[in-house]
Amino acid sequence: MSQEMRRDSLPETNDSGLHEKGLSKGTVGVLGLIVIGISCIAPAYTLTAGLGATVAEVGTSLPAILIAGFIPMLLVALGYRELNNAMPDSGTSFTWATRAFGPMIGWMGGWGLIAATVIVLSNLAAVAVDFFYILIAQLTGQEWIADLTKNLWINIPTTLVFIAIAAYISYRGMNATKVFQYVLVGFQVGVLLLFAIMAFTADAPFDRTPITWDMFNPAGVESFTAFAAGISLSIFVFWGWDVTLTMNEETTDPNKVPGRGATWTVLIIIALYLAVATAVLYFAGVGTTGLGAGNPDNQESIFAVLAGPVMGPLAILMSLAIMSSSAASLQSTMVSPARTILAMGYYKALPSSFAKISPRYMSPSVATVVSAAAAAAFYVVTRLLSENALWDTITALGLMICFYYGLTALACVWYFRGELFANARNFFFKFLAPLVGGIILLVMFFVTAVDSMKPDYGSGSNIGGVGMVFILGVGVLLLGVLVMLYSRVRHPAFFKGETIKTGKNLIL
Amino acid sequence: MKLLVGYTADERGAEAIELASAVVAGTKDAFVQIAIVLPATAPFTAIYPGGDHGYETILSAQVDRWAAEALALVPEGIGASVVARSVSSIAEGLIELGEEFEAHGIVLGGRKRHLGGFFMPGAIANALLHSSPLPVFMTSPASLENLREAGGQITRLTAFVGDRPGAEEIISLAARVANARNIKLRVANFVAHADVSEGSAGIDDHVRGIREYLDELVKELGIEASVEVIASGSIDTAINELSWQPGDLALLGSARLAAHRRLFIGPKAHRILGHLNVPMGVIPHLPSTR
Repeated sequence: MSQEMRRDSLPETNDSGLHEKGLSKGTVGVLGLIVIGISCIAPAYTLTAGLGATVAEVGTSLPAILIAGFIPMLLVALGYRELNNAMPDSGTSFTWATRAFGPMIGWMGGWGLIAATVIVLSNLAAVAVDFFYILIAQLTGQEWIADLTKNLWINIPTTLVFIAIAAYISYRGMNATKVFQYVLVGFQVGVLLLFAIMAFTADAPFDRTPITWDMFNPAGVESFTAFAAGISLSIFVFWGWDVTLTMNEETTDPNKVPGRGATWTVLIIIALYLAVATAVLYFAGVGTTGLGAGNPDNQESIFAVLAGPVMGPLAILMSLAIMSSSAASLQSTMVSPARTILAMGYYKALPSSFAKISPRYMSPSVATVVSAAAAAAFYVVTRLLSENALWDTITALGLMICFYYGLTALACVWYFRGELFANARNFFFKFLAPLVGGIILLVMFFVTAVDSMKPDYGSGSNIGGVGMVFILGVGVLLLGVLVMLYSRVRHPAFFKGETIKTGKNLIL
Repeated sequence: MKLLVGYTADERGAEAIELASAVVAGTKDAFVQIAIVLPATAPFTAIYPGGDHGYETILSAQVDRWAAEALALVPEGIGASVVARSVSSIAEGLIELGEEFEAHGIVLGGRKRHLGGFFMPGAIANALLHSSPLPVFMTSPASLENLREAGGQITRLTAFVGDRPGAEEIISLAARVANARNIKLRVANFVAHADVSEGSAGIDDHVRGIREYLDELVKELGIEASVEVIASGSIDTAINELSWQPGDLALLGSARLAAHRRLFIGPKAHRILGHLNVPMGVIPHLPSTR
């Protein structure tokens, strides 16, 4: 066979190899999907990071707001699934929103996703570092070691090292195995349940607060702004759950497994969250002194304070669970902004150099470094500016998730606008669910954004009388607008619609 | 002759194609099968928040571009095609592809790395050297320079042999290859003083014994080959005493420890690999090769 002939038949040879997607096809069952879903949510991390801040907003209505927060998440995720099925080749807020609404809004959708994941990266790293020192203190019995994390000269370099390691692992394309995930998730869930049991059976709770039905009533929240803030925080604790809905061909039965896996995952997660939330309320109450969950000193990282009093020597298990789950999430989250930055570089919405793929490890190279650098920079700035950096970051993160999720949900409605009323299924999954979910999230976004301008919002840090959360959240979005306008001048091709066509039935 | 190149879209990959092209050039049905291997997608590595984020699409487009670049590196007159495949382990994937495409060997580009004074082949090369049923050819920038000096032509084969029965296999294989390409064959053996127990007089006897054995072998096989037996203080110094010419290709046999039809590189061969500045091939222990 001649060289030329072979060369002509090249695309076929390549396609056959690549698009079969390797060995992962049909390997994940319902249990596997639940494990993947829970590992993506990382409950030990989200609870320690998000519970305190949520209590600060809604007090004893914590269980209610957790349940309420799931509803917009579910509605939006249903829309996500439709987009994912319609455009499996693109699979990101950036491309979906671009195709539905055009380049400018699409660009901001991509920026929102990158910002949200970069913020969560810096928060994950910070939590991992806190519990790293707590764990060492517990292992050695030297309590002063746990306080090292409060020293910025130690905390910031350690956090940067954690981020760098995660970026390196991500760049090398190293993957977690099935066994690793099962162990990690099983351990996490087990420790959280143990915490709940020990809190409820404690001989001397700090501030015994009886569990009442009122706690489960969303109407019990004092004000709408508190409700909105609570929702955007509880969105954060469910963030990652949508992965169960978007897994299709990896599952053993694409018709049944994703639906069942997603349902079981959310039931388990809600049960776990309610158990831990009520346990915290029962044991510590919402008082603003001592161990109370309403004490601002406790709200950055609730388990860092409560695990010891509740679990005694077993608190070391909690430290291990939180450190392992946040460190594992740190690494797997690094992939997300890197891939979105890569996609934006590839479609010329950002400089093309961001689209570089490492020929050895087949992973984004420049984009991974950029993500890690952005997370590191964000962390350093927040840590230096805010007295309560973790808390403010989580609230800003809630804002960012509401923004890009809401935008993507509306993109779903707009993208499918021609077929929304074709049948009952379309009406519900492509219109009603994403529309309601998207509107709820964007309303939460605007209410929280306006509210967060107040200097006493969140942890109470402010610059020139403007709340830190507003500066972080809205500031990052405005920075996005500036970068977009700059890109538009420097790289007009994307903004002229030359790289991604708007509308349906057009191949990228 | 068909060789499978484990290709990465960088200098190593280009060097591997250059070596593979030189080795197959002039043989019947000269063909370079370029393989781009990708890590298998691992579903249990959940990306937070979920989704592929469009990566598969962009990656496959990138691989298509790399494939076109790789094909352009193969000289005229040599057949070439590219296969891209997701594999669970790169070394195993290359072996599978090598067998699937009925290649006569696998070619890797590489860099010399010294770790604590010891030469270390890369992780993938190392895995191949310990498990491949196919010959493995390796190159480095320095060794490729040697090949380029000869205008990319292989001018001589040097077969490294021990004084053990396995020598016959390597010599006869090398002779067939040399014969087919009409190039010279050299048979080389190293003796380290420390390995000989009888002292300095014993060394001379030992060297003479080996030389006679190899001469006899060459004669029995009815081939033309020069025989060099080099005795020196250590393997390292012995290797440095051997002279090289542009276009040399070294062939080593797999250690006797190897499972049947599998490569296994012994400590002595490992040392030789580390010192060579010519491209080399490591041949598994085979009763016969394709």
